[in-house]
Amino acid sequence: MLEHYMQQGSSFASQIDGLVWMIFLMTTFWFLLVEGILFWLLWRFRARPGHKAVYLDDHAEHAFEVKWIEIPHRVILLCDVAVIIGAITVWSEVKLSAPAPDEVVRVVAQQWAWTFTHAGRDGKLDTADDIVTIDELHVQVGKTYSYELGAKDVLHSFSIPVFRLKQDAIPGRVITGWFKPTIVGEFDVQCAEICGIGHGIMPARLYVETPEAHAAWIANPTHYLAYKF
Amino acid sequence: MVTARPSLVVMALVASVASGCASELPSDGVARGEALFKNCVQCHGAEAEGSTLMNAPAIAGLPQWYVAAQVTNFQTGLRGAHADDTEGLKMRPMSRTLKSASDVSLVAEYVSKLPVKRGEATLAGDAAKGQAAFATCSACHGADGSGNEAMKAPPIRQLNDWYVVSQLRKFKGGVRAYDPADTSGATMKAMAGAIPDEAAMRDLAAYIHSLPL
Ligand code: HEC
Ligand code: HEC
Ligand SMILES: [Cu+2]
Repeated sequence: MLEHYMQQGSSFASQIDGLVWMIFLMTTFWFLLVEGILFWLLWRFRARPGHKAVYLDDHAEHAFEVKWIEIPHRVILLCDVAVIIGAITVWSEVKLSAPAPDEVVRVVAQQWAWTFTHAGRDGKLDTADDIVTIDELHVQVGKTYSYELGAKDVLHSFSIPVFRLKQDAIPGRVITGWFKPTIVGEFDVQCAEICGIGHGIMPARLYVETPEAHAAWIANPTHYLAYKF
Repeated sequence: MVTARPSLVVMALVASVASGCASELPSDGVARGEALFKNCVQCHGAEAEGSTLMNAPAIAGLPQWYVAAQVTNFQTGLRGAHADDTEGLKMRPMSRTLKSASDVSLVAEYVSKLPVKRGEATLAGDAAKGQAAFATCSACHGADGSGNEAMKAPPIRQLNDWYVVSQLRKFKGGVRAYDPADTSGATMKAMAGAIPDEAAMRDLAAYIHSLPL
């Protein structure tokens, strides 16, 4: 359903969507139910000639509370437990554990650009053949990447919607995370944390390439991001 | 009886809102250049006098050809797309708020007509030493620092002294004019490479700052 609007481009995208979808269904159910009851009550107890307002006696009020408050309350608690279990499962898989990476990529956010350092031919960072690009990230489909995310000036947030990846970048800290692209294509990278007047115009481009195309790019790392009007 | 077709009403509303937005920007001429310049004020100042706080240089009175060329360089990545160019990376997305070559040229024209302003001196350099070193520079920028369009060399006498030093440092370090396609940058890069150190850059900046406007 969500993938109809935004492709799922990473190994964990469908899990995140599943969680969002579960929460959406639960809240929709409760929303419709509560609004339905509200409007039904408004209609059912509207002012009518010959009908006076009455107070419930203590006993009736207790039964009333059990029916309308306690039971729904417990069911909602059950929903909460389901959300917590789902969230912790996804969180531990996406954020707490990290599969051994095939390659590391360094990501630095600053006002208002992204600098990506790719490992290059030897697959290792901090060697002479590293490839540094501004506002464009090249990865190979099916490979597991870990990223080292930093910020030079203020808070930013590294967001790749197709990956369902979003991670704050904090000056003075290097935050690690991972992703595994599953579909080939050209996608958006954006900043998801207000970072100054250029915040809305600090997009980058993500290129998920086949092994052949990726090898070709590494051999000849041209910048695709030539500006067009 | 009057019947209103909802779809027509919606279309009319959308059309009026859209035309309202579009009419915010004058379609052409000086007025459009002035309106587009509003996007630059935040950093370069209302009179394009520059802001030391934002590290944005004074651009008022720079010739149109130079402003347009630099903005285009920022757009295409010939300038300001180097990982170590903190200030250039800020200017780069701003250049891209201009969506056509004619808009670039209109803003550049507007900027070029603003009265030249020179910021306060912020560095302690030795202008006398700078004067001696400036002899090489005058071949392109002119003995009075007023620039030479034929050489693609801009006027530099009005520049903020901190900006002169930062640009010389960037040219020398390959942080500006890093792309061989930037031919005019490449000429200047060769010149900056010959400046021995930061102290010499400050001396040059002090002398340039002392040139009469
Ligand atoms: C976010 C702040 C910011 C905004 C907004 C901004 N600039 Fe800049 N601009 C800068 C900075 C910083 C530099 C210096 C870059 C460097 O140090 O290399 C610069 C440099 C320039 C230069 C180069 C000047 C020279 O002497 O080479 C030009 C031209 C320029 N800006 C034009 C514009 C125009 C036109 C606009 C509006 C469309 C604009 N700028 C908006 C920050 C900004
Ligand atoms: C061979 C010609 C030439 C000589 C000699 C030369 N320059 Fe330049 N200079 C240029 C050109 C061309 C540019 C414009 C670069 C561009 O298009 O980005 C420039 C740009 C500059 C800028 C940046 C201006 C701005 O607004 O951003 C400064 C500062 C500068 N030169 C200082 C000097 C100094 C100081 C010297 C002497 C040491 C010198 N130049 C010698 C050709 C020259
Ligand atoms: Cu940001």
